[in-house]
Amino acid sequence: ASAGESCQWRRTKEHRVKAQQSAGGLITTQQGQAPRELFTSVNISVVWRGNKKCAEPGCSAGFLTWMRPREASFEGDFALRWKPRCALLPSTSQLIVQHNEQQQVLRYFRCSPASAKRGPVPAQFVKEDEQKGTKSLATKEDLFEQVAKEYKTKDTFNKVIDVFTKRDIRRRGHVEFIYAALKKMSEFGVERDLSVYNKLLDVFPKEVFVPRNFIQRMFNHYPRQQECGVELLEQMENYGIMPNTETKVLLVQIFGEKSHPMRKYQRIMYWFPKFKHINPFPIPQPLPEDPVDLAHLSLTRIASDLDAKITIYQLPCTDFTESGEEIKLPHIVGIQSPSQMELLAKHNPKKPVFVEGPFPLWLRKTCVYYYVLRADPIPLEEKVEEPYDPERCFDYPLQLDLDLDRDLGDDESFDVDDLDEGPVFAMCMTSQGDQATLNQWISGLQQNNPILGKVPTLFRLDAGTQELQGAADTEPGYRHQAHPEAQREEPQPAEDPEAVVEEESRRSHGMKQ
Amino acid sequence: MSLPKISCVPASRLLSSIHDLRWLLRSVTPLSVPRRALVQSEYRRPGQPREDKPQWQMFKFDFSKGLEGIKKHFKLLRHEFSGRLVGPEGKPIIEHMLEQNRVIWEFRGPDSLQEWTLSSDREIGGQSEIYLKLGRNSDTCFLHGTLQNAPPRDGETRYSGYCTMRSKQPLASFDRKKHYDWSSFNTLHLRIRGDGRPWMINVATDTYFAHQKYDIYSYFLYTRGGPYWQDVKIPFSKFFLTNRGRIQDDQHPLWLDKINTIGFTLGDKAEGPFQLEIDFIGVCKDYAHTEDFAYEVYKRNPEV
Repeated sequence: ASAGESCQWRRTKEHRVKAQQSAGGLITTQQGQAPRELFTSVNISVVWRGNKKCAEPGCSAGFLTWMRPREASFEGDFALRWKPRCALLPSTSQLIVQHNEQQQVLRYFRCSPASAKRGPVPAQFVKEDEQKGTKSLATKEDLFEQVAKEYKTKDTFNKVIDVFTKRDIRRRGHVEFIYAALKKMSEFGVERDLSVYNKLLDVFPKEVFVPRNFIQRMFNHYPRQQECGVELLEQMENYGIMPNTETKVLLVQIFGEKSHPMRKYQRIMYWFPKFKHINPFPIPQPLPEDPVDLAHLSLTRIASDLDAKITIYQLPCTDFTESGEEIKLPHIVGIQSPSQMELLAKHNPKKPVFVEGPFPLWLRKTCVYYYVLRADPIPLEEKVEEPYDPERCFDYPLQLDLDLDRDLGDDESFDVDDLDEGPVFAMCMTSQGDQATLNQWISGLQQNNPILGKVPTLFRLDAGTQELQGAADTEPGYRHQAHPEAQREEPQPAEDPEAVVEEESRRSHGMKQ
Repeated sequence: MSLPKISCVPASRLLSSIHDLRWLLRSVTPLSVPRRALVQSEYRRPGQPREDKPQWQMFKFDFSKGLEGIKKHFKLLRHEFSGRLVGPEGKPIIEHMLEQNRVIWEFRGPDSLQEWTLSSDREIGGQSEIYLKLGRNSDTCFLHGTLQNAPPRDGETRYSGYCTMRSKQPLASFDRKKHYDWSSFNTLHLRIRGDGRPWMINVATDTYFAHQKYDIYSYFLYTRGGPYWQDVKIPFSKFFLTNRGRIQDDQHPLWLDKINTIGFTLGDKAEGPFQLEIDFIGVCKDYAHTEDFAYEVYKRNPEV
């Protein structure tokens, strides 16, 4: 049938004129506003915009849109994605009822099928054929849980959202669905994906929750939906995801410009850029998965010296022992800077050096452990101040013997005793922190620092929280098993049982006893 | 100082909060806190009725304790009087005027740990732990513990997993509240050694209105990790205003004349052990820093 006559919602110019003439004493207020009589059962504040064609393919009906005169500025073609479809078209004799796939009568948002006063109400709601017979309570999470574990990916997540959106044009229960989806995102691995959040935001019906007058704006219009929108944005904020223009457009379409989710979006867009780059020690976004690369990254980070050089003493590999067993050799990555090498060269061979560890280092969510080669601080009486070599720098003198005092107002140092914890000579990272591996590291270090062959090396390997040992702790009999650290940890509830401290003296291979 | 207590409120706030002048000056004394306890109250299950004991029953009256208290308070009072003869805040005026650096907190003995209060999400039912002890050399403090993200299952808490260390409010004689006056400084200087975790520094000032009770000025503290000490300098103009953990829309610079406490919080959603060593916390005057405030003060979001 020709849609022109039978479509109830189409208003051509002649039709309007006819109505005016027939209505007689009816008032048509502004231009473009249809006479009131025809719209009594429908929301009166609708302003007729004009002919809009139904976007359903094959249907050439025109209809009324619900757009208000003040149109939001849409960027891109996101607005076009939401295509209005024509409502049901009751006419005088011909019943042209549009159905969707599930045999549900297509009905536009907020208008009831009984709105037209012309023709009978076609209340034909075809029951769904797939209606489940069971009466158990079905939660919105069931849709997600039905996806098998191995198929939980972004595609399946998007498919679940599509199933929900296509199921019901009114999107009944969308709030619970969105809450359930937010909870299930981490299972599907999509919690850091902005496109998924935008798709989820798309589940909200558009323009229904936008307040249309000052009373609605005042009274927290559709509070539950606004809370749900805020919750979605809060999850984005927690994962540190920056929303984009698509999010903004969706929020404006769904909630309007003066809504809580829009405010939340504005706050995110204000504060996130301010705090994005304030970390003075930034960590690269996808952390390297290779343990050697990770060790490289973390050692350069903690060395805090740009001259420091990384040496890979061993790459992870598998080795076969004599009995045919396979053992996995860990990686050993060490770092040492030239100033550390100098300090080690100046170290007194009679004093021992300590290998301490493992110390934790957190890189975002991963914790790696490093070991340190250090010595005790030199006591004051043994400190020898070497004069500066005047030939080191010819541009200016490195040492000045001026008798100037700084005024109180120019004193830039704090009145604190300087901490002297002893020099640190080198650091290393390895996956297995046992003595054999660290021995390998020391022998590798020895190639560049021959003094290590003469110096006794002690191993202080301990599980649990770690701090660098201070001078007060070293006793002359360092071979004792009873470590002062173990005694101090007892009064506090220790979270891990402490491993036995291994203290062993080690001589290099060169000096046979 | 004879300035009234209305100091820390910017003019716009005064107009809006004219109706609410209730300000609880009385602080609630903790119930029978042992002397070495640094941790705040234990977990109170929601719905559990609070103890309705009258105030006089909560104190343990002890003669020796009373004598100690009298001695301590009168000694403090005497110091205050004699300090005024020397100069403002007990220091000669030249020093007070020209001071460029001041060490506020040091950790040189077990008594210094008494100035700090520890707290973790154990109070709301979580499982994080936090402990404080002196470092190896008795020169630094060692804050360590474990962070657990699992929220308590009470139906209303959604996120969890935080640990904090907060300094106690300085007290004058007879437990009167004192404030730090850092108006001649503009930078916070810390010497720390962390394990790579990002912490948050919270500075709480003295406020007037009840709405401002949980107002805290915060900034981030990024640690590098590693065996070397890290010097952190944060100008006070970078601190932003938050209330109950939520950053506020109306920002204003931190007022330095009545600072109550400073605190460190960890809540980086990474489960596992953490540690932080602090050598000292001081304030300094950086002449090169001329910024008043790092964030915009004008109204950014138009009214609804």
